[in-house]
Amino acid sequence: MGAAHSASEEVRELEGKTGFSSDQIEQLHRRFKQLSGDQPTIRKENFNNVPDLELNPIRSKIVRAFFDNRNLRKGTSGLADEINFEDFLTIMSYFRPIDTTMDEEQVQLCRKEKLRFLFHMYDSDSDGRITLEEYRNVVEELLSGNPHIEKESARSIADGAMMEAASVCVGQMEPDQVYEGITFDDFLKVGAWELGVGTGAALGACRGPC
Amino acid sequence: MFLLLPFDSLIVSLLGISLTVLFTLLLVFIIVPAVFGVSFGIRKLYMKTLLKIFAWATLRMERGAKEKNHQLYKPYTNGIIAKDPTSLEEEIKEIRRSGSSKALDNTPEFELSDIFYFCRKGMETIMDDEVTKRFSAEELESWNLLSRTNYNFQYISLRLTVLWGLGVLIRYCLLLPLRIALAFTGISLLVVGTTMVGYLPNGRFKEFLSKHVHLMCYRICVRALTAIITYHDRKNRPRNGGICVANHTSPIDVIILASDGYYAMVGQVHGGLMGVIQRAMVKACPHVWFERSEVKDRHLVARRLTEHVQDKSKLPILIFPEGTCINNTSVMMFKKGSFEIGATVYPVAIKYDPQFGDAFWNSSKYGMVTYLLRMMTSWAIVCSVWYLPPMTRQAEEDAVQFANRVKSAIARQGGLVDLLWDGGLKREKVKDTFKEEQQKLYSKMIVGNHEDRSRS
Repeated sequence: MGAAHSASEEVRELEGKTGFSSDQIEQLHRRFKQLSGDQPTIRKENFNNVPDLELNPIRSKIVRAFFDNRNLRKGTSGLADEINFEDFLTIMSYFRPIDTTMDEEQVQLCRKEKLRFLFHMYDSDSDGRITLEEYRNVVEELLSGNPHIEKESARSIADGAMMEAASVCVGQMEPDQVYEGITFDDFLKVGAWELGVGTGAALGACRGPC
Repeated sequence: MFLLLPFDSLIVSLLGISLTVLFTLLLVFIIVPAVFGVSFGIRKLYMKTLLKIFAWATLRMERGAKEKNHQLYKPYTNGIIAKDPTSLEEEIKEIRRSGSSKALDNTPEFELSDIFYFCRKGMETIMDDEVTKRFSAEELESWNLLSRTNYNFQYISLRLTVLWGLGVLIRYCLLLPLRIALAFTGISLLVVGTTMVGYLPNGRFKEFLSKHVHLMCYRICVRALTAIITYHDRKNRPRNGGICVANHTSPIDVIILASDGYYAMVGQVHGGLMGVIQRAMVKACPHVWFERSEVKDRHLVARRLTEHVQDKSKLPILIFPEGTCINNTSVMMFKKGSFEIGATVYPVAIKYDPQFGDAFWNSSKYGMVTYLLRMMTSWAIVCSVWYLPPMTRQAEEDAVQFANRVKSAIARQGGLVDLLWDGGLKREKVKDTFKEEQQKLYSKMIVGNHEDRSRS
């Protein structure tokens, strides 16, 4: 019972840092303990305990996103070996819906953070650009379940999409100009995301203000 | 020390008297009714009293919590995910529509935004997945004075704590020894009785005796756990030459079903005490025990079961097709083996009332002995058993469809959730065939349209 005080202080701190309510934090903490097997940290192997996740074609990218130093705000590249509860909450907080009551600037900031999370998923070598290889990699993973699609089809889809992206960002290219890759700013342009407040359902996985 | 001598003999004689009294009470009120299958109604009275106490305790807690302005009932587990039950195609269209400012010609191609959908789905399952939920014990909404179910309720008042302490005393010092004595009696009677019956020549008399010996011992075991069972639709009870199929929550299921009917058991041969019991039982009437090596051979298993079922003089087989213990909130995939045999299937639904004691055996958390101890120190085990009308396999069905039909009937009757998932997931990983479904759906969407385009 005596430990209850310091625990609630911690909860309040986490509330401030990540924006979840104390109920949500407790619920996520229970889930964290379930995933980690009552250990204080989670490693990549712990995500093997989620059977539903096996269905997901980009499972490895999602798990990787949890350990990505850029998402954890601990650096500009590389992967952490294990994450604690606070890191877990940090990653989860990217999926909270945008609060309608905030001012325009903050809303834009929130959006950018979410899009940066997705950008990191594509950009696996952390060089700040999505190269053709990385793009192909994502498309192949998404289409990998279907045995009827050959690798060639997946590649050509990726190449086509990449060319379109290039034309949007750089305009008409010279014949021997090499397109180095999609930067984050290009990413914002190409997607032309209209993650408006109303249709924020796509990235709004949890209830509660941003 | 010498001064204690007169007190010593007093204590000894007191002990002797109380033991005798205890045993007589035991005999009269519990064992004799068990032998004859009568009931004094003591357990029902006990259950009613307990319910009243629990209701009072919960009210007390609610009042106490309101006084302290403390939230008592935590939000429903599903509260954190804003679930939107739309299909994959609709969601991806929605994402693209809200995204692209290009003139939409309605032929979906790969878009950067497509990754959203899968990302979000992945996050949702990390936060809460359907399968893992089934393998941890059910959470209660009121407190039943057992500290092991006390997740949300904290210290409220002195009176409640005293009541809880009294409960602990009663359960561990009064009920537990009583139950252990009963269990001991029941099991030894079973072993001795069936061995003795085994010496008789085969015939009607032997069958009659063996049935009653089995029944008697199961009834004693039921009282050893203070199980209060309500049987519904007893006219549908399994008959010879059939297979009885039920959902599985704990090893106690066997005792519960077998105390109301005559069954032939199916299982693996164990060592130790279980082995002794198994060997004794099989002397009195034919049960189907498999050696460990035989269990792997599915054809051998199927053949032996078929042989047993075709002999109309043999008792109906009791099988739990889920293969493992589930926490009694849902019914998981039935293994098709028992449904291929072609006998009449008698489904039975078992639903435990978690208020009095959680009967779920989490075999990864507790061993058998710990589990039995927990059962014997709960207040009681209250459950309902429904005998469903018999089902046979139709001509157009295959074994899997038949199994699913039986499963839905059981789930519906027991008020449990009908899940497609395999109970074996408690221990193993998902089969690859499931993984491919979502990916197939998505890729069909993209490539199908890509091909249309390149053709046009």
